[in-house]
Amino acid sequence: MVKKIGLLLISIFVLSSVAMAAGKSETAKPRKAEIKIIWWGSQTRHEGTIKVIELYKKTHPNVDITYEFSSWADYWTKVTTMAAGGQLPDVMQQDYARIAEWVKRGLHVQLDEYVTKKIIDTTNIEPSLIDTGRIDGKLWAINLGSNSHSMILDADMFKKAGIPLPPKDWTWEDFEKIALQLREKLGIYGYGVHMWNDQIWKAIYISRGEWIYAPDNKSIGYKDDTPFIQYLEMMKRLVKAGAMTPRQEEISQYAGGTQPEQTPIIFGKAAMQHQWSNQLSAVDKASGGKRNFVLYPLPRVKGGKSANYIKASQYFSVSSQSKFPEEAARFIGFFTNDIDANKILMAERGVPISSKVREALLPLLPPVQKEVFSFVEYISKTGSPCPPPDAPRHGELINNLYQPEVVDKVLFDIIDPVTAAKILRERGNAILSKN
Amino acid sequence: MGHATTPFKKKIHTMLFHLSVGAFAFLMIYPILWLAASSFKPGGEIWSRVLSLIPQHPTFENYMNGWKGFGGITFGTFFKNFFIIAALETLFVVTSSTIVAYGFARIDFPGKNLWFSCMLATLMLPVQIKIIPQYIFFGYLKWINTFLPLIVPKLFGEAFYIFMMMQFIRGIPKELDEAAEIDGCGRLYTFTHILLPLLKPPMFTAAIFSFYWSWGDFLAPLIYLNNPKLYTLSVALRSFADPGGMTDWGAIFAMSFLSLVPVLVLFVSFQRYLTQGIASTGLKG
Amino acid sequence: MRDPLSKTRKARDARDGYGFISLWLFGFFALTLIPLLFSFFLSFTDYDLLTPPVWSGLNNFKTMFTKDPRYWKSVFATFYYAIAAVPLRLVVALGVAMILNTNRRGVSLYRALYYAPSIVGSSVAVAVMWRQYFGTEGIFNALLRAVGIPSNISWTGDPRFAIWTLILLAAWQFGSPMLVFLSGLKQIPNELYESASIDGASGIRKFFRITLPLLSPVILFNLIMQMIHGLIVFTPALIITGGQPLDTTNFYALYLYRRGFETFEMGYASGMAWVLLVVIALFTFIIFKTSSQWVFYEAEKGR
Repeated sequence: MVKKIGLLLISIFVLSSVAMAAGKSETAKPRKAEIKIIWWGSQTRHEGTIKVIELYKKTHPNVDITYEFSSWADYWTKVTTMAAGGQLPDVMQQDYARIAEWVKRGLHVQLDEYVTKKIIDTTNIEPSLIDTGRIDGKLWAINLGSNSHSMILDADMFKKAGIPLPPKDWTWEDFEKIALQLREKLGIYGYGVHMWNDQIWKAIYISRGEWIYAPDNKSIGYKDDTPFIQYLEMMKRLVKAGAMTPRQEEISQYAGGTQPEQTPIIFGKAAMQHQWSNQLSAVDKASGGKRNFVLYPLPRVKGGKSANYIKASQYFSVSSQSKFPEEAARFIGFFTNDIDANKILMAERGVPISSKVREALLPLLPPVQKEVFSFVEYISKTGSPCPPPDAPRHGELINNLYQPEVVDKVLFDIIDPVTAAKILRERGNAILSKN
Repeated sequence: MGHATTPFKKKIHTMLFHLSVGAFAFLMIYPILWLAASSFKPGGEIWSRVLSLIPQHPTFENYMNGWKGFGGITFGTFFKNFFIIAALETLFVVTSSTIVAYGFARIDFPGKNLWFSCMLATLMLPVQIKIIPQYIFFGYLKWINTFLPLIVPKLFGEAFYIFMMMQFIRGIPKELDEAAEIDGCGRLYTFTHILLPLLKPPMFTAAIFSFYWSWGDFLAPLIYLNNPKLYTLSVALRSFADPGGMTDWGAIFAMSFLSLVPVLVLFVSFQRYLTQGIASTGLKG
Repeated sequence: MRDPLSKTRKARDARDGYGFISLWLFGFFALTLIPLLFSFFLSFTDYDLLTPPVWSGLNNFKTMFTKDPRYWKSVFATFYYAIAAVPLRLVVALGVAMILNTNRRGVSLYRALYYAPSIVGSSVAVAVMWRQYFGTEGIFNALLRAVGIPSNISWTGDPRFAIWTLILLAAWQFGSPMLVFLSGLKQIPNELYESASIDGASGIRKFFRITLPLLSPVILFNLIMQMIHGLIVFTPALIITGGQPLDTTNFYALYLYRRGFETFEMGYASGMAWVLLVVIALFTFIIFKTSSQWVFYEAEKGR
C-alpha cells in the first residue's frame, strides 16, 4: 500500500513536471521561435560561442536564442538535473563517452531528416565525419570538431638526449625503449601522466582490429587478455625504472593527470605524453609557447594496425524536450558551415568537419594549430575506422570498476596484472550484461 | 626591582605573542599569498615557475582577462548578483533564525522536541541528494532562473543558525527575561528589548557565516540560475576551467583573489561588533 | 499560586512557542518536506534520473550492505576522517579562539588572517593551493628536507597519507568553529575571572572551572555541527583528491554523488543518503543524551 502510494506520488511528481514543460508550447504558442543552447568549456569557448550566437541572431531575426554555459565538471550535474525536471535546452553539447547513454533514454532527436532536408547542410562534409555522430546507423549528433589521440613528443628533449624521433608507425616496444633511454640520458621521466586511462586500453585492441565491447554491448568484446596484461606490465616496468610518473606523484603533483596545464611535460620532467590532439594548444601555452612539441600517433601493437581514429571532440545534439527541433537543427547547420562563425571560433573545439571551413581557416592559424590540423589530416588518411560509440554503462564500467578496481590496484601493487585482467573481464561482463 | 621588570616582562610577552601568532599566521595564509602571487604572473610563468612567491614579470593581464568575463558579461555583473543574493540571504536568515531560536530556547511547548529533531534532521542529508527533488519542486513554482530558490528559503530560518542562536540564548541568565515578565512585558517585548541587544555578537557571527557561505555555495546557483547574466561569483569562477581544452588559470587565480576581497572586508569591518560581548555591556550583576 | 494559573500559562506557552517557531514550521512544510519525502521514496526505487523511477523494494539496501565493497570502503574512510578531523579541528579552534580573545593591538588582523583559510575552502583554487603544500614537490617536503629528513613522499597521492592531508585541511580551516567559540568566550562575564584571580586560582583551574562549563552550550553546538559536517564531507575530497588514491578518500557523500550523477543510480544514492541520515541521527541522539551530564546552561542553573 505504502509502496503503491509512494510510487504513484513520485510518478506524478516526475511525469507532471516533464508534461508541464512539454505542455507550455500548446497553450501559449510564441510567434517567435525560442531556442536555448548549452555547452561546457573555458573562457575562450564561452566568448566565441556567444559571439556566434549574436551573429546568428542578426541574420535570423525570426529566432530568439538564450544560452548558458558551465565548466566541464559542473555541466553534467546541471544537464542531468535539467533532464530530470523536463527543462533540457534545445541544443546541447554532447560528449563521445556519454551520448549512447542519453540516446538510449530517448533524450535526443534523430537528425537524419534535417540532413536530408538540407537544414543541416552536409555537402562539404566527408561522410565519415558525419558518421561519428551515428549510433546503430542513425544520426543523433553533429561533430563539432575532429580530434584524435596523440602522443605529444618534446622534440628538443629528444635532440638533447640524442634520440632520433621514431617512425610514425612505432610500436609499444619502441615506445618503452625510448622512455627508458630518455630516463637514462636525461634523468627525467620519459613518459608523463595518464597512461592508465581507458583510451589506451581501447587503443591496444583497436590496433589489433578488435573492440573492447561485443557488437551487442553485452560483454567484453575480445577473447585474448594477453595484450591488456602486457600493457599493465609495461606500466609497472616503466614506473619501476623511473621512466614514467608513479601514480602517487601523478595524483599529488599533477592533479591526477586531468589538467593538461599541470603535467610533467610542461615542466620538462617528461618528454612524451598522451593527450587529445586539440589539447596541444593548452600544453603549448602553459609551457610558455617556446617549446618544440610534435604530435605523434599512438604506438601500435607489434604487427598491428593504426591505433588512431578520427573522433568528435564533442557534438551538438537536439533535445527531445525541444519545442523547436527544426530551428535547433538549423542553428547547428549554421555553426558547422558558416565561414564567418568559424572564423570567430577558430577551431577551438577541434578541426572543423566542413572542408570549406578548413580551407578558409588554414591561413589564419597559429603554428600550434597548424600542427594539430596537419596531424588530424594525417590520421584521417592513415587511421583506423572510428570504433562504435562507448556502450551504455561505459561510465559505470570505467568509474566503478576499471579505474578504482583494476588499473589503480595494479599501479599501487595490490594485485598483479593477470588477476586484474580477470577481474575486469568477470565484473565487466556482469555490468555489461545489464545492457 | 619588581617595579622595573614588569613592563619589560610585558614587552617580552607581547613580542613573543606577535612572533608566534604572526609566524603561524604566515603558515596559515601561505596558499593565499601563493594565489595572490600567481595572479600577477603571465600565462607562461604560472606553471613553469610554480613555487616562486614573487612574479618574475608582474602583470595585470590576468585581471583584465578575467574581469571581462564571458561574451560581454563582466565580473561586475557577477559581483553585483553575489551582493544582492548574499545581502538578502544574510538579512533574512539571521533575523528569522534568531526569532525561531528564541521560541525553541526559552519557551516550553508541546511538540518542541519533535520539531527540534526534524529541524536537525534536515541538516543530515547531503545536499547532493536534495538537488533533483528541489529542482523539480521549484520548477513547479516557476522559480527556476530567478534568485527566489536561493533567497526565499532563508526567510524561514535555517537549522544551523537556529541551533547556534539557541545555544547563545541559553547562555543568557533567565532572570533577565523573568524580571521583564514580572514588569508585565509580553514575550515579544522581552525578546526584542532584552535579548536582542545581548545577542548582537552571535548575530554578527551568523551574518559572517551566512555571507561567506553564499559566497562559497555553487551548487544551488549552478542549478537554479540558467542565464549567465544571473550567475554568481562562485559559478562564474568555475566556468573558466576545461580539462579537455584550454584553461586560463591566470584569470581564475586573479578573479579568485579578487572575490576574496569583499568577504575579508566584511569580516574585518564586523570585527568590532564581535568583541562586544555580554562582558563589556556589564549587564550581568 | 502556580496551580490555578498553570493551565492558562501552558496555553500561553504553546501559543507563544508556536508563534515564534511558526516561521520555520511554515518553511519546513512548504519547501523542505516534499523534496525530503521524495528522496526517501526514491531510495526504494531504481531511478536513472532520465526515465521515471521503478520500484525495487529493498534492493538498493541489499546491494549496499552485501554486494558493494566500495561502499564499505567509503564508510571506513568517512569515519576515519570524522573521528580524526572533528576533535582536531575543535581543539585547534578553541585554542586559537582563546589566544585571540584578548585586546592586544593587532589582534583583529590576526583574527582575519586565521579566518582567511576557511574562506578559500570551497574555491576552485584550493586544490591547486593544497598541492603547493603536499605535492611531491610541495613546501611540506621542502620543509622536511630543510630539517634534514629526505622526503619525496607524494602526500596526497599515497594511500597511507592522502586522508591525513584532508584531515589537516579540515584543521587548517578552523575559522567557523573558532568564531563561534570567540563569541561564546565573549559571553563569559569578566567578573568571574576577576574574582577567581582574587581567590588565587591558576590559569588551568580557571579554564576548567569557568571557561569550559560556561562555554559548554557552544561546545555542544560546535561538536554536533562539526560531527554532521565531518560525516557528510564532500568538497575537499572532490576537488583535491577526487576520492583517490585507491578510494582511500572516497567519502560517503562523494561516493553517493558519483553513483547518483556519474553513473545515474539516483535510487541507490538516495538509499545511501538515508542510511547516512539514520546513522548521524543516532550519533546526535547519543550526544544529546550525554549532554545533560556536561553541558551547563546559565539559564537553567539551580533547577
